[in-house]
Amino acid sequence: MEGLVGVVIGETRIAMREDEDRRATELRLVRQAQAGDLVAFERLYRENERKVFGLCFRMSSDPALAEELTQEVFVRAWRKLSSFRGESAFSSWLYPLTVNVALSERRSRRRRDARIVATEDPASLERAPRSPAPEAGFDLEKAMAALPPGARAVFVLHDVEGRTHEEIAQLLGLAPGTSKAQLHRARRLLREALAS
Amino acid sequence: MTCQELDLRLDDWLDGALAGDAAREVEAHLAGCAACRERERQLRQLLAHAAALPRSIAPARDLWPGIADEIGRGWSSWLAWGTRGFQPLALAAAAAVVLGVAALVFTRIAPERVRTVTVTMPAASPSATSFVSGETVSDPELAQAEREYEEAARALLETLQRRSSVLPAEDLARVESHLQVIDRALAQVREALVKDPENRELNRLLVSTHKKKVDVLRRVVRLSTAL
Repeated sequence: MEGLVGVVIGETRIAMREDEDRRATELRLVRQAQAGDLVAFERLYRENERKVFGLCFRMSSDPALAEELTQEVFVRAWRKLSSFRGESAFSSWLYPLTVNVALSERRSRRRRDARIVATEDPASLERAPRSPAPEAGFDLEKAMAALPPGARAVFVLHDVEGRTHEEIAQLLGLAPGTSKAQLHRARRLLREALAS
Repeated sequence: MTCQELDLRLDDWLDGALAGDAAREVEAHLAGCAACRERERQLRQLLAHAAALPRSIAPARDLWPGIADEIGRGWSSWLAWGTRGFQPLALAAAAAVVLGVAALVFTRIAPERVRTVTVTMPAASPSATSFVSGETVSDPELAQAEREYEEAARALLETLQRRSSVLPAEDLARVESHLQVIDRALAQVREALVKDPENRELNRLLVSTHKKKVDVLRRVVRLSTAL
């Protein structure tokens, strides 16, 4: 038993050391990027692109739009990089920025759609978005895409990303009660969609 | 508890946000209501499905070239802006760091020439940013100095704009970034001066940062003409 505990403690220490090394490397890259080094910034991008794209895709339910949003996130990150002080992981710093970019696009698209519907093909708004990973829960992806945007955002952040209502409230500028109500709505709609 | 009341509490119960009597009421209702048990089962299935979705997804194409282009595009507009007027960018960083990094750029552009250029200031050293030592600048003098440096920077930017085609795009992007850092430093010093206009050290720092900007521009122009 003691031997097993020793192995676990040893592995935990190794993991902690690796984590510290990773953080140190990341911080060094951030400092280089803050001084204008694009190569360092590209490495930060490579480390984080999948997470950012994943969140953008879930929030938008549109792979092409998610690509644009991901690019916008990193362009904004480059411009705001001097505000990163290294107190958290770079990915944590990117998170609210990603949510913000995805939400801004949603707001501007809503305004744009409201103007376009009258003159262009209304059916285009009903086309199902393409999923980049149909094997990974395709039905749920489709059902999520059909959710109202506010409910989808809260569902993604809470049930896919594992954020609390307090965090979501802060990220989306809502009251925690509104976040709960949106989650309830999203779960009900999804349960109905998946049961049918 | 009615089925409707359970519906309102089921989320909290599944999320572990209910305790004590409230949780026991939900459990008691579920034990006696097959329809609500089915609803709970479906919801659990949904949550398991959602939790299993990958949070990291690789985009179908490489997005970096577009990002790098967008970042680099600022250079041409920055050059154009240099002819219109002075608009410092937000955020702050130490100008001494820029010169250290700028030396690398110069090395890339003309390695054999950079040896003759003295851009070896230690990064983030306060003394390195104040090489107009002993200078005490009152407000009118400061304004005059700023005008002169801005004019010099504008003239150099115009020259660089004409020479930009001979410099590699990547190097231009990096030089631009470095100049932006200097501008951020200028903005930071100006901001501090608004709060503390009599601070001589800040006055001196503003002038020295302007001088560095002109210095960096002058060196890039000189190297671009040598290519």
